[in-house]
Amino acid sequence: MTHIIQVAILGLLLGGVYALMASGLTLMFGVMRIVNLAHGVFIIAACYLAFFLFVGPGWDPFLSLVVTMPVFFLVGVLVYQAFFPRIEGSARFGEMTVLLTFGLALIVEGLLSFFFTGTFRTTNPSYATEAILIGDLFIPKAQLFAAITSLILLLALWAFLHFSRTGYAVRATMQNRTAAQIVGVNVRRISTIAFGIGMALAGASGSLISFLFPFFPNSHWRWIAILLALIVLGGLGSLKGAVIGALLLAVAAAFVSDLFGPTWSPITFFGALFIVLLIRPQGLFGKQARVG
Amino acid sequence: MPVLQLQDVTSGYGYGPDILNGVTMTVEAGKAYCIIGPNGAGKSTILKTVAGILRPRKGEILLDDRPIGGMRPDLVLGAGICYVPQDRSLFPEMSVRENLVMGGFLEPDRRVVNDRVEEVFEMFPVLRERANQHAGTMSGGEQQMLALGRALMTKPQMMMIDEPSLGLAPQIADQIFETIRSLSALGITLLLVEQNVLRGLDCTEWAFLLDLGTLRLEAPSDQILDDPSIRELYLGRQVVANPEAEVGEQP
Repeated sequence: MTHIIQVAILGLLLGGVYALMASGLTLMFGVMRIVNLAHGVFIIAACYLAFFLFVGPGWDPFLSLVVTMPVFFLVGVLVYQAFFPRIEGSARFGEMTVLLTFGLALIVEGLLSFFFTGTFRTTNPSYATEAILIGDLFIPKAQLFAAITSLILLLALWAFLHFSRTGYAVRATMQNRTAAQIVGVNVRRISTIAFGIGMALAGASGSLISFLFPFFPNSHWRWIAILLALIVLGGLGSLKGAVIGALLLAVAAAFVSDLFGPTWSPITFFGALFIVLLIRPQGLFGKQARVG
Repeated sequence: MPVLQLQDVTSGYGYGPDILNGVTMTVEAGKAYCIIGPNGAGKSTILKTVAGILRPRKGEILLDDRPIGGMRPDLVLGAGICYVPQDRSLFPEMSVRENLVMGGFLEPDRRVVNDRVEEVFEMFPVLRERANQHAGTMSGGEQQMLALGRALMTKPQMMMIDEPSLGLAPQIADQIFETIRSLSALGITLLLVEQNVLRGLDCTEWAFLLDLGTLRLEAPSDQILDDPSIRELYLGRQVVANPEAEVGEQP
């Protein structure tokens, strides 16, 4: 029994970080219908930023959040303004965002490889190898702190969306873009902000991933594959779905990994995705696609 | 005094063909207008182009003699024209109250917004009863009332309403048209698109007849049906044979 609780706890802690990554991705889809295949590569880029702040000035990865989040918010604003207004209004906007962000992912990956080589990196703050013991339960500090940070950031996102004027406009745009326009929301501005916020969350995730998993430029493909599975499972564009999907799948993956070995854990995500698409294609909290 | 003027406006969707072909029309302050015409005539396209959802390809749109053609929708709204689209475009997962508050998005003062929500509740008591219900779960008539109420939150000088009776039962449609008449009484200039020609003409003073993207005729609403040739030519036999016939229209 203790063992089952132990595995569930490890899964939940990791799930918190997955939820943080997935929420940025699903926000971008929800507000702008952008399928951002470059989300993973920006997370890895943020890992490098946290890494160099750690090995250089010796900043703790949690402290690096104050750099990675604003920096990636700005990167998001610039990327959005540089690329997306050009394809706005195109009948094939969705498909074009896939190609555009795929190209962007390749370019950023190439730049990271060129400057930082393909060596595995990780930040190793002192607590990375420490754990708290509660009875027989073993709680690694790094995972615990990362999960708490993710939870705080997700709560902040929720509060922003529900209590600020801009947050209302973001939610309105997610629910009905035309309706947002006709009540006077400048949807271009809101889209830019939402993309920036999604990227800031990617930046934050990078700081956390930097000490949870070793990374190298190419490892973003693994992340984006998992993240896409998570947000499709939760229902594209649903933040609640992304968070619950992330927690569920992380726990499931922890059990699969425990039973069959870690090699099988990624299969959990795609297996679950496969089943969801068969049974409930709109995802757990997604809306039925409307025709016309 | 003209509020809104369209001068030789051409417009369409995406890379598609022109739907409007050089439409010129003038809307006077405080009057109620109806745009009628067969399916695909471009009625909704006029409203979307004025609202800033579509950009005119040619021509000028003037509001109080200032050009507004191609302006962002939020700026057009700020200038005093609000648009109630055919699908009502509510926020389905927000409550009735939240929808109304969103309608006051351009008004920075929360107290003013709350006062206006109260005014809308006075006008539509049913919305007060449903204040905390999600908009997506209401009936068609209630949704249309919410759409109109939300539009009133901006204190518009002019309202453009697309097919308010679409998909509503006749008695409910009657209520909606009653409301639209009361908007006129408030001094709001109205530009109405209505598939149900008789009802549309009944609650307006002036009618524009549109066909294949061009303005064919304009006349006082109560006279347009008197001319048998107009009835025959533009409104079709169907209207003569069955005045209540409702035909769905694609935008």
